[in-house]
Amino acid sequence: MDILVCIKKVPDTADAEVILRSDGKGIEEEDLAFGINEWDNYAVEEAIRLKEKEGGKVAVVTIGTGDDEDILRRCLAMGADDAYRIDSSPFYMDDPYSVAKGLSAFAKKHSFDLIMTGVMAGDMSYAMTGPLTAGMLGIPHTTLVTSIDVKDGNISVTRELEGGLEESVRLELPALLTIQTGINEPRYVSIMGIRKVRSKEIPVLRAEELGLSAEEIGEQGAVLELESLERPPEGKEAEMISGSPDEIAEKILEIVKGVV
Amino acid sequence: MASVYVIAEHRKGELGDVTLENIALAKELGEKYGLAPKAIVLASSARAFAEELADYIPEVLTIEDPSLENFLYEDYAAFLRPAVDMFGPGSIVLCPHTAFGMELMPRLSAETSLPCITDVTELELDGTRLRAKRSIYNGKIVSSVSVDASKGALVTVRTGVYQAPDKLSARGTIEGLGVSAEPVRKKTEFIGYREAPAGEVDITQASFLLSIGRGIKDEENIPRAARLAEKMHAVLSCSRPVVDKKWLGKERQVGTSGRTVKPKVYLAMGISGAFQHIAGVKGAGVFIAVNRDPKAPIFRVADYGVVEDMFKLMDALEEKIGGER
Ligand SMILES: Cc1cc2nc3c(=O)[nH]c(=O)nc-3n(C[C@H](O)[C@H](O)[C@H](O)COP(=O)(O)OP(=O)(O)OC[C@H]3O[C@@H](n4cnc5c(N)ncnc54)[C@H](O)[C@@H]3O)c2cc1C
Ligand SMILES: Nc1ncnc2c1ncn2[C@@H]1O[C@H](COP(=O)(O)O)[C@@H](O)[C@H]1O
Repeated sequence: MDILVCIKKVPDTADAEVILRSDGKGIEEEDLAFGINEWDNYAVEEAIRLKEKEGGKVAVVTIGTGDDEDILRRCLAMGADDAYRIDSSPFYMDDPYSVAKGLSAFAKKHSFDLIMTGVMAGDMSYAMTGPLTAGMLGIPHTTLVTSIDVKDGNISVTRELEGGLEESVRLELPALLTIQTGINEPRYVSIMGIRKVRSKEIPVLRAEELGLSAEEIGEQGAVLELESLERPPEGKEAEMISGSPDEIAEKILEIVKGVV
Repeated sequence: MASVYVIAEHRKGELGDVTLENIALAKELGEKYGLAPKAIVLASSARAFAEELADYIPEVLTIEDPSLENFLYEDYAAFLRPAVDMFGPGSIVLCPHTAFGMELMPRLSAETSLPCITDVTELELDGTRLRAKRSIYNGKIVSSVSVDASKGALVTVRTGVYQAPDKLSARGTIEGLGVSAEPVRKKTEFIGYREAPAGEVDITQASFLLSIGRGIKDEENIPRAARLAEKMHAVLSCSRPVVDKKWLGKERQVGTSGRTVKPKVYLAMGISGAFQHIAGVKGAGVFIAVNRDPKAPIFRVADYGVVEDMFKLMDALEEKIGGER
């Protein structure tokens, strides 16, 4: 079973200050820590586990810049067999349609039994790229996958619904799955492991080689346009409790005592 | 006339509340831009759902077919592809941004010529340009994105943003849409539902929840949080990453894909306040958030906020309550 996993490098913004760029179309990236999108990490782990069980190969691909190759190498160290980078420079990267065009064109040149993406990328949170790519390829998909079972050319998965409920769905291969966090426990990647794959070649593909023109994937071909970014509006704000941890603890206990 | 359509979400014979939220948005758009608000029910038996919705929206359209018993995007899309052709230029189709909408709408977009915007919190029509606000970068930034809606557009709407509307004084009409499915060779099959197993606690019944998030950092710190919860007579709950890492059982997860809780006190520590988490805290009496990041979105929903290292505060709380550490 040959599996393609689509991965993206994203900044960790949950635990950092996010500063708007002066042009209002992006954020200052300098002081942010970047890494593989959390959902994609689970997808890579799942693909490697499937390979270990069913045989075949795992390839990872990102549409990105040279700076993004470290996440590809990280996946090679985890056990992926091949890594590809599609040069992002002609792509309008804020448009999930442009990204999906790139990924589906890449997938068409190979023959994968299974394609995986994350449910969403933690930066823009579109949660679109997977189903769009599947739609462009004309293969079945399912989203929010929490377990995978392969049997005779079919694949059975559970997908997460709301409130702890799940459903089981069977899909014909080739298919695309978007992977939800918690599906597995991703393996640890050591510095040694990354060193071992240091010399592995990462082919870089240009959009033209995939048959894509700049008009299709550049800003002029964008389906979804990012117009501007802003800070969230001031809404209801919490009443802040300040003081030493001791004083705060006291106040919290007081509040709790008054209610419970 | 262009319309704004709400696709009803239902499962196991029940309509989701999210459908009513989207009806509220549809009516708002209808008034602002002169679009006719309509609901569409796709189901094996649509009547009961349609009756329920007709209390809230002037026009309900139904598509009935045995294949629509359980949701599969393939079956829905087979009806919706020809349906959207009938909707007329400029029509907007709304789904909730849930497991249902996330599966269906981007795919339908790829299979039609209609653009899709996901997880929107606000919508605005500017001529033929449909503009949406979306929350990105962990809720710290709001983006404005737009698509060309001259042929129509598909949208998934964030849950919990709009309130269910009041009932209409005169009930809406119910009518079959009169569309037949495009023939497809099916490649997906619905097998069945799997209920979450009951766990060791029921956090939905707790009156005081101490809830921990990724800020707890390490599995080693879990016992410490558990001990504090016990001393405070609180039940320990958590955000999703803590469950994903298997540090606590799924039954303790608060949020859209976990449990919905309504405690008298919700004390959240090291939780950023993602909407999937907050949507699970319905009507907490008092919501207290502890986070070392003053810009954490959770401070926009909490009643009381504390900008502090959660471990320092946990220590202080333990000390104040007394007993050996
Ligand atoms: C379909 C779907 C369903 C989902 N369902 C759920 C769900 O049911 N429940 C849920 O919770 N999430 C759910 N999520 C995930 C959700 O989007 C967020 O990723 C998640 O809620 C983040 O959890 P968190 O706040 O604990 O972690 P983060 O977002 O990483 O935030 C950690 C916070 O801890 C703070 N912090 C770190 N260290 C300290 C310290 N020492 N002291 C104080 N503060 C500290 C940081 O400033 C940060 O704000 C779902 C996502 C998807 C896509
Ligand atoms: N630039 C990219 N390169 C490769 N895969 C991507 C890229 N952007 C998004 N993806 C994939 O699409 C998923 C969903 O992203 P999104 O639709 O942006 O939320 C991610 O988890 C990745 O698997």
